[in-house]
Amino acid sequence: MVTAPSVEKPASAEELARVLHEAASSKLAVVPVGGRRASKMGDPVERCDVLLHTTRLDRVIEHSQADMVVSVEAGIKLESLQSELAKAGQFLPLDPFNSPGHTIGGLLATGWTGPLRLRFGSPRDYLIGIRVALPDGRLASGGGRVVKNVSGYDMMKLHYGALGSLGVIVAASFKVFPRPLRDVTVSSQGGWADVDRALSTPIAPSALELFSGGRVLARYTGSPDAVNRVVSELGWRPEDDTVWTEHGGRAPDRWARVAVPRSELRRVLGTFPSGAEWWASPGIGIAHWSVATDASSVREIRSTVEAAGGTLALLAAPDDFTREVGAWGAVPPTLDVQRRLKQAFDPGGVLNPGRFVV
Amino acid sequence: MPIHEVVAEELRRAVGRESVIVSPHDLRIFERDGSIEGAMPDAVVLVSTTQEASEVMKIAARHRIPVVPRGAGTGLSGGAVTIRGGIALQVTRMRRILEIDPVAQTALVEPGVVNQELSLVAAQHGLFYAPDPSSQKACTLGGNAAENSGGPHCLYYGVTTNHVLGMEVVLADGTVRWVSGDAPDRVGLDLCGLLVGSEGTLCAITKIKVRLLRVPPSVATLLAAFPSIEAASQAVSAIIGHGIVPAALEMMDNVTVGAVEAHYQAGYPTDAGAVLLVEVDGIAESTRELMAAITDILAHNQGYAMREAQTPAERELLWAGRKGAIGALGRIKPNYYLHDGVVPRSRLPQVLSAVGEIGEHYKLPVANVFHAGDGNLHPNILFDLRDREVLHQVEAAGEEMLRAVVELGGALSGEHGIGLEKAAFMPWIFTDDDLNAMHRVKDVFDEQGILNPGKIFPDPTRARIHLAGRTGLALEARWW
Repeated sequence: MVTAPSVEKPASAEELARVLHEAASSKLAVVPVGGRRASKMGDPVERCDVLLHTTRLDRVIEHSQADMVVSVEAGIKLESLQSELAKAGQFLPLDPFNSPGHTIGGLLATGWTGPLRLRFGSPRDYLIGIRVALPDGRLASGGGRVVKNVSGYDMMKLHYGALGSLGVIVAASFKVFPRPLRDVTVSSQGGWADVDRALSTPIAPSALELFSGGRVLARYTGSPDAVNRVVSELGWRPEDDTVWTEHGGRAPDRWARVAVPRSELRRVLGTFPSGAEWWASPGIGIAHWSVATDASSVREIRSTVEAAGGTLALLAAPDDFTREVGAWGAVPPTLDVQRRLKQAFDPGGVLNPGRFVV
Repeated sequence: MPIHEVVAEELRRAVGRESVIVSPHDLRIFERDGSIEGAMPDAVVLVSTTQEASEVMKIAARHRIPVVPRGAGTGLSGGAVTIRGGIALQVTRMRRILEIDPVAQTALVEPGVVNQELSLVAAQHGLFYAPDPSSQKACTLGGNAAENSGGPHCLYYGVTTNHVLGMEVVLADGTVRWVSGDAPDRVGLDLCGLLVGSEGTLCAITKIKVRLLRVPPSVATLLAAFPSIEAASQAVSAIIGHGIVPAALEMMDNVTVGAVEAHYQAGYPTDAGAVLLVEVDGIAESTRELMAAITDILAHNQGYAMREAQTPAERELLWAGRKGAIGALGRIKPNYYLHDGVVPRSRLPQVLSAVGEIGEHYKLPVANVFHAGDGNLHPNILFDLRDREVLHQVEAAGEEMLRAVVELGGALSGEHGIGLEKAAFMPWIFTDDDLNAMHRVKDVFDEQGILNPGKIFPDPTRARIHLAGRTGLALEARWW
């Protein structure tokens, strides 16, 4: 019997579903926990009776090298999965900030991504199957283990980025990718002008990052001849691969994600307070901002971002600050539908209460 | 059941007298889509605006009448068939490309825009729309979004859902909403992702914002012959195993090649057990380098008679053969039943040999033409509908083929949708709990069950497909 307060570390999906069901039956608030890399994301939870850890669900269920498909339990660390895939010359093109230590379940629940999204998309694009524990104790799967599938509703999209508000992800299948034949990173100090240059090269960069100081990092992958030609035409300074490990480790104490239509990003970043520290993926329309201002300045910037058709979400901050600013900003216009979905999957409101939009 | 005159009059007031069809003679045109089963709608309403679609939905909701959104009717799973009667919501008059933004590389379109037309117009800006179903000359972008359609080039570029940025939709109560949009990482649940591929069972789509891509400066297309399907499948795995993901990787078997060559004279080798059509794109350096590597891999895997298209016209001809393959099969038999199973790529030889055996068992010719790189097979069972007896054999053979797909760890549909034809098979791959979760989604969006009823979910009252002793076995569960 689950009683509050407790820390639960189930060793299987079935056990996790049972714990979740018991907690829900007793109206206990459940906060799913993975690698604690994004535990400050969202508004502070209203209640927390049970910390439900997924970390013992850390198996690779199956890696089919020939099919380039992998199925894993949700508590596996991204780095463990990558080293398993690397044995076959494959990888998951996911390089989130605040690495290392993310679990796959956490990355799916939060929707955190990194620079490689420019070329490969986000897990939304290569997550092909999901299994979720629901508060009523059911284990519900969607998708499958094939790279192309329209059988039934796309339940992967329902849970991806839902911050554990509808269920707890216990397993997932991905389409994985062959390691690129060539992978080269170069840098410049040329700011937006060089961003435009890199984005218009004959083959698009796989990652392109711009820093508030004007530094630009560009990563080209693919056919060796093509990569060599583009990189030599750019004539930028060669960088070591470790530059990405360093970049992926970024996670200020207070930070926010700004997401706007990519054609608006430059203008929006131009309205930030002078001296603001940020890094951006201009090809995607995302910037991460190290927040060093007071709450009212954040709200001001948020209104600029929202006027441009975007969103500003706090990724981490002290609870009081988050309460003052609000983690999410303007409510989505489909809030009523989203609430009905929440009601259908978590009628008792036990999952992460108050943390997400619904 | 003819539509009640009161309802018909309300519909006429909403969209104009000439846009409501109720005479049985005229309705017959809308009886079918590209699948094998048909059913007459009680009314067809040709809407021209979102407002009209919303009004129609409100009327339907008030009277609890089914609504089935319909584009060009090219779907292959019965998604647009009005199996429970009601209103066919015809969107083909909503066919404007509202905006192409060459800087943001996006387009805003109405749902009746034909797939290929968007790429033709976008080409003026050096852009194209990637998902390219074989029916792209006719199928609509609204239908594509509803079905989450694929196509040969989805191997590299991804399917429809990877290219839809946002949609304007009409919900079951007639309210109009935008889901997602130009910016990434919206706050809240990803309703857009959930609605793409929902086969008209959760909403009607009235506008779509899609991503456009830059037309690659260089394209290389290669045709290669193989002694057998097994050898060609092996070659497919070898290419991918070398870390190369071509833009497209298509296979045709001997039966298909014979029909295509007779029809198009595209130079397909008719003696081959199977042919592969491989395409890579990028800049000249990369296509040259990748094509050289691919040619080498294919040669090591029994490939012969390899021929690279030397001109755009030659490339067009090779693709005409592939995209027109199913039409060409009419030379063998007038009708076909096209299936759409998808298996892990490495299981292709096994599943194709099972498909061949099933065809032989039922004495039905089978032609395979499909997206080999994705493991997405399309066995075409060929028959003559004038022989009514054969239909049961065709259905039984099709069911057995899908069964073979599922037993090899596959799924019921890669890109055509579940629709009507495969709804009864859903318990093969999903447990009661899985389907229960999907039902919750359905109930949230469509409490009254008026949106495209009878699709996706198994209908216990439908007896067409006999599943005695076979249901309830959820093979998917064993993977976890």
